[in-house]
Amino acid sequence: MTYRFYLREELELKKSLLLLSLVALLGAGCSSTPLDAPGDPSAAASNYYGVDAATAEALGLEELRGNTLLSQRSIFFDFNKYDIKAEYLDLIGAHAQYLNNHAPARMVIKGNADFRGSHEYNLSLGQKRSVAVKEALNALGVDDSQIETISYGEEYANQECQADACGQDRRADITYEVE
Amino acid sequence: MYSIFFGILLLISTPTYSLEVIEILGGKASEIPIAIVPFEGSGKINGQKAHQIISSDLNRTGLFRPLNTGGISNPPSSDININYTKWSAMDAQFIVVGKVEIENPISGNIKITWSLIDIFKEKTIVSMRYMGKKSQYRAIAHKVSDNVYEYLTGSKGVFHTKIAYVKKVNNRKYSLNVADFDGFNSRPILNTTQPIISPRWSPDGEKIAYVSFEKKKPVIYIQNLKTGKRTLLANFKGNNSAPAWSPDSRKLAIVLTYNQNSQIYTINADGSGIKQLMRSNSINTEPSWAPNGEDIYFSSNRGGSPQIYKVNINDDEISRVTYEGKYNLSPSISYDGKLLLFLTNDQGKFKVAIQNLISNQVLKISEGPADESPIFAPNGHLVLFTYKDYGKTTKIGTVSINGLKRLPINVGSSIIQEPTWGPITN
Repeated sequence: MTYRFYLREELELKKSLLLLSLVALLGAGCSSTPLDAPGDPSAAASNYYGVDAATAEALGLEELRGNTLLSQRSIFFDFNKYDIKAEYLDLIGAHAQYLNNHAPARMVIKGNADFRGSHEYNLSLGQKRSVAVKEALNALGVDDSQIETISYGEEYANQECQADACGQDRRADITYEVE
Repeated sequence: MYSIFFGILLLISTPTYSLEVIEILGGKASEIPIAIVPFEGSGKINGQKAHQIISSDLNRTGLFRPLNTGGISNPPSSDININYTKWSAMDAQFIVVGKVEIENPISGNIKITWSLIDIFKEKTIVSMRYMGKKSQYRAIAHKVSDNVYEYLTGSKGVFHTKIAYVKKVNNRKYSLNVADFDGFNSRPILNTTQPIISPRWSPDGEKIAYVSFEKKKPVIYIQNLKTGKRTLLANFKGNNSAPAWSPDSRKLAIVLTYNQNSQIYTINADGSGIKQLMRSNSINTEPSWAPNGEDIYFSSNRGGSPQIYKVNINDDEISRVTYEGKYNLSPSISYDGKLLLFLTNDQGKFKVAIQNLISNQVLKISEGPADESPIFAPNGHLVLFTYKDYGKTTKIGTVSINGLKRLPINVGSSIIQEPTWGPITN
């Protein structure tokens, strides 16, 4: 559980930096809006995942889609492990920021495991991975009510992977309910 | 649901006849040579012949070595005028002889009369007659295997039991199937587009509990095998998985997550009375109820790597069970409570292992490298498990608990996984 404390310290430092970079990215997002066909309501609706503009605004969907960190959704793990590697701290920090700024947003974290070992243990391992991501977000002030953790275990994993290729299945995927 | 036929006991010369010593676990005791003589008249029935079915049954156990009886001239069909010298010269310690008669050509009823003979002692151990429908031919042959097994080992045979398993045709096509223990007479009892895992047959034989992903997350159903109807046992927040029946079939141990880690609960089979067993920050999963009804074996990574533990359901007292190896999973307990079956990672190879719970001696009974889902036969003498055929497609097979015989169960070319074994019924 050491990673949690590590995360807290590391991410508190990064919070202010992240805010800055988010603002910069949002600015970039705004400048790209003219690319969308103006005045076409159906195109606008599809850009907002089928929700109305007010909901899209409340959920910050523009940001969710356009931000390079927020568009990264997968956190990868080592075999039989569920500690979060330092390289994912920025990604998690960005999602924490997003959830904190958008109270109606609901995240579902889906844990996965490679095929090695039993189906049931892998289901638990996948769950541990999604809970590890949730706890990292909790440490950055995100409320449990905004997050649901589930696991798919090895059920959608590549059953014939060899060695390093299996790493693709050892991951937690961040999804948002609205998407 | 089980086929019904009636047997008539003609003669038992020795009421309790079992071999003096059969070292089941650990001992590489030589297999007993037995000749199953082709049954007279079995050519009149379509399909595999009775002596082949019986040989194949006994061969799986790792306790018998069925001799090749193909070239025998004038094979005997009863225990009259047995040439003991000839059979003795062939190294046969026991022989089984018999005949198949069509009793009624219109109804198709058949009659199988057979004897088990001890060549060394030069006497008949038992003679029996079974009558039934032609469609029960295989079932009758399995019943003969059961009788032979019980007379020679003192334990009940499992050749008349059923198994269930998950068939995965592709990522959108899964089914839960029931079949005879050797894979014959398979039929689907559930077809779905999402994964199914962890089927577990209730000890009373009436139901199968399983985990389905059809609600976009794992939930537990119980399906009645007679009516085909199913009920949702557990659909709580998060994952619902790993059902394990209590020995009296009235309760199950299950695993729930809510928004946390996998934890073990007990629940009545009607979905009432949910109760958490123990609390920890580690993974607790794969519960397996001991036959005493009081201990639940489970896997947990509380010590760092996954190992097998047991918890007493009355006082929550936990003790570690496996110490050999760094990665042990999937516990299952023999019906006498003496053997623990589990999956072990042996230097990167996943193998099936058995631990004697009295001596704590461990025996690896499969080779790996990707074996899984071991489950005991209801007599505890055979194990059903999965392996990767040519390192690719998962298939099911049996392995004898002495590790001597590993044989596939052929139920088609799809991925076959997550097996369970039904109880012995009459």
